[in-house]
Amino acid sequence: MKPTRSPSGSSSPSKSARIAMLDTGLGTMPHMKYDFIRERVESLDMYELPEAELSPYVALMITGNVDQELLYRERKRIQDFLDSGKVLVFSGHLSREWLPGAGTFVPKEIRSFQDYEIHKAKDHPIFEGVETKDLTFRRGVAGFFARGHNPPPEGVEVILTLPGGEPVVYVDRRSTRGVIFVSACYDLLGFGLDRLYSDDAPETTASLIAPQLLAWIEKETS
Amino acid sequence: MKKLAAVYGGSAPHHRALNEPKYRRWLSGLIYLPDLPGADLDGFDGLLIPERLHRGKLDEAAGSVLAYLDRGGTVLVFSGGEHPPVWLPGLKWEHRPTNFWWWLEPGADLGLVCHNPDHSLFGYIELDDATWHYHGLLHPPEGAETLIALRDEGALLYIDRVSTPGTLLVTTLDPLYHFGSYFMPATERFLDGFLPWVVRELL
Repeated sequence: MKPTRSPSGSSSPSKSARIAMLDTGLGTMPHMKYDFIRERVESLDMYELPEAELSPYVALMITGNVDQELLYRERKRIQDFLDSGKVLVFSGHLSREWLPGAGTFVPKEIRSFQDYEIHKAKDHPIFEGVETKDLTFRRGVAGFFARGHNPPPEGVEVILTLPGGEPVVYVDRRSTRGVIFVSACYDLLGFGLDRLYSDDAPETTASLIAPQLLAWIEKETS
Repeated sequence: MKKLAAVYGGSAPHHRALNEPKYRRWLSGLIYLPDLPGADLDGFDGLLIPERLHRGKLDEAAGSVLAYLDRGGTVLVFSGGEHPPVWLPGLKWEHRPTNFWWWLEPGADLGLVCHNPDHSLFGYIELDDATWHYHGLLHPPEGAETLIALRDEGALLYIDRVSTPGTLLVTTLDPLYHFGSYFMPATERFLDGFLPWVVRELL
């Protein structure tokens, strides 16, 4: 497929709901192979964050390879972005205290693959039609989605849990004037898009997550 | 004890792997990636460059890493799916898709082999401890020593003492990322043996 614009996101998008995804510098972001992602998401090099103009963006997506020393230094900017009513989606393990309300990652003691089992604590449009087995297992291997949790503050909406009730996905509408969506999964947008990496990857209902995540962001910010 | 420094990219997996006490004791210093271009490396006998670092920032440090090799320093470079730095002398890397489910089939074999089982590394780790998956193949320059290879194909870990006056170890294994992510138990066994081997034997 031919990209309609540069994956670096240097040209202006057609949509008004612009979403920035921090590029952690591992090469081209594979997500951008998908038209539906490229049309809505622009990559922003993480080291450009201190100088970037964030006001055109309605949401910021951050994945598990991000430099959290950088985010810690930029925590005021992140707080201000959220307080202007925007959405932040973080996927990964928190190792520094830069995300309002959230504590640093607590690993789970794993004794068997069943300890990785994902449960739905409540229905959420991002996971509509997604079977929990497709969250627990990826190509038959358990543990990709969550191996512990980022502790949320009181009063958040818990969406997915591990068997001990540990919240691995939550939505926090209380810590800021915006919306914080936290997932312990390394890259929620890429999870389920196994065909990014291999043409023979099996079908999975987890492939619904990416379009539903983008649709949810659009609804939250419209 | 010889002095090994590690580059810290600020990510959560790096934070855990490099600060875990049983590994931190083998490290004489952590250098934050954006500080690497200006860092004084001469106080260290070796420099460990983990996988999954921001490529632009790592490229900015190419000059100082190459100068360190030219002065006889030891550099260890890991790659976790991303292309290893193209400026490394003698480097030839070939992408291979990652198969992380190979072990689900009874009797399956990832295909790792070692040609020199008497090498000091294998006094610290077994081939099994290096077996989870790999991210691409290396074709080492002539005269380099391959320690872990993919059967009949190419290298997964080699030591090159010919391309520079220093010592360059390159691998497409990604133990720091996986240990740091609390995923893939073999990576812990690998690091338990690999880091003491580097400090006691390689440096």
